[in-house]
Amino acid sequence: MKKRFESLDLTILIAVYGLLFIGLMALYSTSLSLVQSGTGSNFFMSQLRWIAIGSIVMLIAAFLPNRMYFDYAYLAYIFALALLLMVLKWGTTGYGATRWLNIAGFGFQPSEIAKIATLLAVGRFLSEERSSINRPRTFIIASAIILAPFLLVARQPDLGTGLVFIVIALPIFFWAGLRPNNLLLIIAPVLALFASFNIYLFVLYLAILLACLLYMRAGIVSGVLYFAFNIGVGFLTPRLWGQLKDYQQQRIITFWNPEADPLGAGYQIIQSKVAIGSGGLFGKGFLQGSQTQLRFLPEQHSDFIFAVIGEEFGFLGVVAGLVLFTVFLMRTVHLASIFRSRFNSAITIGIAVMIGFQMFVNIGMTIGFFPVTGLPLPFISYGGTALLTNMVLVGMILNFHRNKFEY
Amino acid sequence: MNSSNFRSDNPRRLVFYIGFLLMFLVLFGGFYNLQIFQGREYQEKSLRNSIKVETRTPLRGLIYDREDNLIADNRPSFSIYLIPAQTKEKTVTFLSEVLDIPVKTIKRKMRGYSRRFQPVKIARYVDRQTLSKIQENKADLPGLDWRVEPRRNYVMNRSFAHVLGTLGEVADNDLQKDSNYEPGDVVGKKGIEKVLDQYLRGSKGYRYVKVDAFGRTVETMSSEKNRAPEAGHDLHLTIDADLQAYADSLFQDKTGALVAVDVRNGEVLTLVSKPNYDLDAFAEAVQQDVWRSLMADSLKPLFDRAGQGTYPPGSTYKMVAAIAALNEDIVAPSWKVYCSGSYRIGRRIVRCWNLQGHGEVEILKALAQSCNVYFYQLGLKIGIDHWNHYSKMFLFGERTNVELSGEKSGLLPSKRYYDRVFGEGNWTAGMLANIAIGQGELLVTPLQMARFTMMLANSGEYYQLHLLRKLVNKMDGSQQNFDHEPQYITGIDTLVMQTIREGMRRVVAGGTGSRAGVWQMTGGGKTGTAQNPHGKPHAWYIGFAPFEEPEIAVALIVENGGGGGGVAAPMAGKYLRRYFHKLDRFDYAAEAEFLRKLWVRRQQQAQADSLQKRIEEQTNRIIETIPLRRSQ
Repeated sequence: MKKRFESLDLTILIAVYGLLFIGLMALYSTSLSLVQSGTGSNFFMSQLRWIAIGSIVMLIAAFLPNRMYFDYAYLAYIFALALLLMVLKWGTTGYGATRWLNIAGFGFQPSEIAKIATLLAVGRFLSEERSSINRPRTFIIASAIILAPFLLVARQPDLGTGLVFIVIALPIFFWAGLRPNNLLLIIAPVLALFASFNIYLFVLYLAILLACLLYMRAGIVSGVLYFAFNIGVGFLTPRLWGQLKDYQQQRIITFWNPEADPLGAGYQIIQSKVAIGSGGLFGKGFLQGSQTQLRFLPEQHSDFIFAVIGEEFGFLGVVAGLVLFTVFLMRTVHLASIFRSRFNSAITIGIAVMIGFQMFVNIGMTIGFFPVTGLPLPFISYGGTALLTNMVLVGMILNFHRNKFEY
Repeated sequence: MNSSNFRSDNPRRLVFYIGFLLMFLVLFGGFYNLQIFQGREYQEKSLRNSIKVETRTPLRGLIYDREDNLIADNRPSFSIYLIPAQTKEKTVTFLSEVLDIPVKTIKRKMRGYSRRFQPVKIARYVDRQTLSKIQENKADLPGLDWRVEPRRNYVMNRSFAHVLGTLGEVADNDLQKDSNYEPGDVVGKKGIEKVLDQYLRGSKGYRYVKVDAFGRTVETMSSEKNRAPEAGHDLHLTIDADLQAYADSLFQDKTGALVAVDVRNGEVLTLVSKPNYDLDAFAEAVQQDVWRSLMADSLKPLFDRAGQGTYPPGSTYKMVAAIAALNEDIVAPSWKVYCSGSYRIGRRIVRCWNLQGHGEVEILKALAQSCNVYFYQLGLKIGIDHWNHYSKMFLFGERTNVELSGEKSGLLPSKRYYDRVFGEGNWTAGMLANIAIGQGELLVTPLQMARFTMMLANSGEYYQLHLLRKLVNKMDGSQQNFDHEPQYITGIDTLVMQTIREGMRRVVAGGTGSRAGVWQMTGGGKTGTAQNPHGKPHAWYIGFAPFEEPEIAVALIVENGGGGGGVAAPMAGKYLRRYFHKLDRFDYAAEAEFLRKLWVRRQQQAQADSLQKRIEEQTNRIIETIPLRRSQ
């Protein structure tokens, strides 16, 4: 038995439990005033329960036979898609979106389960003998595996979580051997999308693209077609913008200039920045943050929980959190690179990207680098389903690490 | 499973290492910038964020009568506020139900305030039951807040309704006019509360409080910038509360107004308009139905008849014509008219109120008996211009500018007016005869009549009518008195004035206004019975006492009350008795005793008379039976 636990990767465990501990401190701080005034639930206590459950789930995931993941990957994927369809039909609605599914009184977000299942499916497909990501066929199928849950999640609508699916695609493809040239061709239209908001920028972008195509010695027909495709993206973007929901547009507009609407959509970001900025180097002290305790800081148990850390523990606390995240991510990349199994390796890099992306977007949002997307901070934000999902992912890394020599 | 793993691909691993390192560095830089570089700035912002300036409502000034009896003070009450930024739909629905205010009204109140975290007052004077219902549910009602605020408490209510006037929430256009007002402030809407609002309202206090993001006060800060609210000035009115209540009771269910003035300084002792209304009902939070029922009431209780009611003055106006005629030497005091009970003007026959006729009438008798035929003829002689000129001398057509809102100036017709309304040359002498007896187009307010009476009582000396006697600044204890300088009507011969006053004395002493007389007290007065299109004539009485050194002038009207002598004069008499009784110069018991003795004497006299008569009759009969002898 002792030997069994020694097989678990200690760096990953320390980083994860360090982050969970920081999260618990922050949740205790945000719950205090709510519990004392009797106007809110005790996030700290219920998160503590979730961590206990999550730890058990993590251990189960770590000690399952390694092959099970590979064998049940597609089944899990189909099951997850079915759940996502069920949400659209029978889901519980809140804040203008249908995200929750209630089964036997137990509410959860299928989009979280879909994250695991999609990783498994795309990992398995890419590690199949006949797959080669640089072939169009493989690329299209792999993309379809990721796009299906994205579309269903985006329909809820939950664009933030949906983006997580999209974001893992290219890194996994790249990890699986996608050539830099092809990567550029895929990324280029995305750049066209952003460049299209300014005509001069767009012209400059097209010039650079042309140069790249010439450098890569692209074929005449495919080169011209591809170039035309990029122009098309540039023209379509403003039209797509009109398709976005008002609140989504508002979030993006506010992102560029939060001070324009200090009491509306920008309020959250301003309050978050004030909370973090006023924390200074050492912070105001545990339970001493006026922004947090006086509830100026919105959504402080979920979206803006990192601002609580910033206010009460200061720059030092923030750096501690960032270091723990970075250690976790670096270690995960390292493990991905030593796993012999392509399946294990691809999934592990996917996990790193998934958690790294959510971390970056969420923390970046608290200091005003990103619009408010509603993405929770892994291991720290309050929320049962998200925590269980992340613990399962950690358990999978631990599992793959235990079986790192297997093919 | 595929045997060729990805691990040999070291450059790719490097891309991920670099990517995550960049993430770390970007975030590190962001936090460094916020917390270390701009930390001080944000610390200040966070301090300001949680500290809010809270306005503290001052106590409204108290109102006393002339003998320092309390009329209106304040008591604590609860007001409900909403913070628009945090208010949810369910909060509005719940409040709408509990407070009986339409959802639309609540939303309209919240809209338009740019400071979305500034609480907006939704309802005031919420009673305890309603408040506790709201308090029980506070956890489910985001955006809700309540405060204790003073509300007006009326020690004396109905009789003072038209003097004090109502309070209400400040109107939008007043908000723009006066920067001292804030939305939701309670201000005077009518009467003295409106006119003297600047004194009564005091000045607001400010308190710096620590609040949470829901706007709820966490703790009060001790800051030297805190300022306590300054209570409004206390008002001491010229009104005598006792006389006010008494005058109010005199009307019973009659409609009308009574104004009494101290002729030595212009202080208004009594100002009553009937019917009146319940000031308290007006102050309640749910005032919709109160308001509606008062507006629907055909007797118009909200209408201040003393200052806003314009009526034909009837015969009380005859003094103006008399003074004009005598002062302009149009007729001599000895000029006589024969009153047969009617008089022919052109093709019309106008009647005197006494259909039997007054017989030979000169000025004094004409006033004492209020002979219309005399004044018809006088009116024709005076002409419109003189009449208008003397009316202006007595300030008719001009507001008294007493401290009441919405006062009317009445209507004083002139030649120009008639030319404009009827066309030049199209109006007849009959109209002149008519306005000479106070009928026709002429309209006056009871306040104007009280001023007119003061002028006659003082033989031309008068004062600005006023309700405010003294302002007391509670903060420093200083007082400000409001004495007014006398003013004079010039250009009226003393002899003329004496004649007219004598005529008014005779009105009380045995004339039409004898029932306004006070025992052992001389007085002057004039009755009026004003014809009007609304039914029975208005009963007027104006009068002053004592005759020699006047102290008090009274003007009163009973709308559609009937005859001035029969209805108005007795009420004025009762009022004057009460006034002099208060000064220990009239004794109800002594008067009763005197009247009893008088009655007894009259009985005896009558008995004696009838005895005498019987003796005379018998004597006569005896004498008649004696045969007369004719001498040769």
